Amino acid sequence: MSDDVTSGWFDARIVTGAHPASLLPPTDRDAIAAHLDRYALSGALVSAMASWLHHPIGGNAEASAIAHSLADRGVLACWTAVPATSGELDSLTALVDRAVDDGVAAFRIHPASHGFSPALLDELYDALQTNRLPLCVDAAELSWPDLTTIATRFPELPIVVSNLGYRKLRELWAALVGHTNVFIDLVDFAAHQGVEWLAANDLADRLLFATGLGVRDPGESIVRLAWSGLDDATVRLVGSENARRLLHGVRA
Amino acid sequence: MIGRLPQHRIVDVHAHLGPYSLFFIPESDAATMVAVMDRTGTDVTVLAANRAIQQDAHLGNSQSLAAVDAYPDRIAAYAVINPWQEPERELERLAGDDRFVGIKVHPSLHRYPVTGARYAAVWEFAESTGCPVLSHSEHQSPYDAPRLFEAVAERYPGTSVVLGHAGITPAGVDEAIEAARRYDSLWLEVCGSQMTGPLIRAMVDQVGSGRVLFGSDFPFIDQRMSLGRVVCAPLTESQRQDVLSGNARKLFRWRPLPGERGVGQ
Repeated sequence: MSDDVTSGWFDARIVTGAHPASLLPPTDRDAIAAHLDRYALSGALVSAMASWLHHPIGGNAEASAIAHSLADRGVLACWTAVPATSGELDSLTALVDRAVDDGVAAFRIHPASHGFSPALLDELYDALQTNRLPLCVDAAELSWPDLTTIATRFPELPIVVSNLGYRKLRELWAALVGHTNVFIDLVDFAAHQGVEWLAANDLADRLLFATGLGVRDPGESIVRLAWSGLDDATVRLVGSENARRLLHGVRA
Repeated sequence: MIGRLPQHRIVDVHAHLGPYSLFFIPESDAATMVAVMDRTGTDVTVLAANRAIQQDAHLGNSQSLAAVDAYPDRIAAYAVINPWQEPERELERLAGDDRFVGIKVHPSLHRYPVTGARYAAVWEFAESTGCPVLSHSEHQSPYDAPRLFEAVAERYPGTSVVLGHAGITPAGVDEAIEAARRYDSLWLEVCGSQMTGPLIRAMVDQVGSGRVLFGSDFPFIDQRMSLGRVVCAPLTESQRQDVLSGNARKLFRWRPLPGERGVGQ
C-alpha cells in the first residue's frame, strides 16, 4: 500500500453556507480552501446550502462564487433546479444553458425538500443528458421507484445518489445492477464493508469520493477510503478517476 | 495526506456481531471484523452480538463468546441483559464467565426504562462488582434519554455507566454532557450517525477527555465512520489518545481487556 494514493482525491460534494441545525466545521471560501489543503485534495464540487434550505435558484450564485474564487484549486459548481414555475423559473433548458456557460459541472435536485414530483423535471433530465452533466440527489429526496424511472427513461444521464446511510444496500443493489447510469458517492455511505462489497462485485467504478463538508463530518469519508480494504488502484479510482470520467473540468 | 496506515492505537467499546433483520450487512462475521481492526489500528473490540440485542439475549451472548474464543487477544464480550428474558440467569452466567468484561443494555429496543425495577439487578450487580455497563442512549426516548441516567447515577453512585451514542442527536449530546458533568460515574461514547468532530470536542471540553470513549457500532455501521470523526476532530493528540484507547483501559478494570491489564491492577 502506498500513502501517495491518499492525495489528489476530488471531493464530489461540498455544501457552502451555514447549516441551521448542526454543529459542523465552517464552509466559506477560506474554509473550503483549508479543507483542500488539509486533505491534499485536487478539487471539489460545491453546491449552496441556500439552494437547499432557502432559495433554490438564487442560491446557485453562491455556489458559482465559490467555484470562480477557487477555480485555480479545481473547484467546480453544482447548481440546483426546481420545476419551471411562473415567477420562479421560466425554463429548465435555459437554466442548463446558463449553467453550461458558467462552467457548472453538475445539477442537484431536492424533490422532497422543495415539494415537487420528480416527474416535473423531464426537461431538466433531457437537457442534462444532452450536455453530459450528472444529476445529483440525496437518497432521502427521491424514492427508489422514482430513481428507477429516471434512470430508465434517460439511460445516458449519470445519476449520483448521496447520503445513503447504512440501511439501503438491498435497494441499492437493485438500482446499481439494473442501471449502468446510477452512481453513488461516499457521503455517509456507512454500511459496514459497503465500499469493499461494491468493489468485490465489480462496482467500484460507480463510487465517487465525497466528504459532504457542510452537511457531514469530512473525517468520515477521508478515513473510510484511506483505511479501506481496497487496493491502491481502486482507491485511486474511487478517489479521483471516477469523478474525472463523470464531471467536466476535473483536473488530472 | 492521511496515508493508508493508522497512527493511533484503538479500543472500540461499542460493537456488535452478525446480521440484523432491518438491513443487509456484508461480512458481519468476527473474522472480517478483526480484518477491519487490523486496517484501523484497533487492538481490542468489545462487542454484543446483534442477535442478543435484537431477539434472544441468551443465544446472542453465546455467539459473542464464540467470537471471543476465536479471537481471545482481540475481542471481548458484553453480556446483554434483556429485562424481559430472565435477566438473573444471564447475570449469573456473566458472573461465572470471565470472557464477559461488561454488561450491555438496550432499553429502547427492549422498550423498558433504565429506571425500571427490572433493571435494578443490573445496577446492583455492576455496583457491587465494578462491572461497567454500556447502555444505548437516545434523546427524548422514554426508555433511555440521557437525563434518565441521572436517576441511576444518583441511586447507584458506584456503577460506571457508558451512555452509548451520548444521546445520538446534537441536542441529545448536550443533554448527555449535562448528565456526565453532574455525575462522575457517567461516561460518554461517541458513535452515532449525527455525531461530528465539533460535538466530540464539546464533550471533551465540558466533561474532560478522561470520560469520553471511542466506539463505532460496527458492523451495524462501518467502524471507519466514527473513527474518522475522532481522528480528524479538533482535539489535542493527548485528548485524542485518551478517547481512542486510554480511557477504555481505565474503565475496564473489573476484567481487564486483552492486551493489557487495567490501570491499577
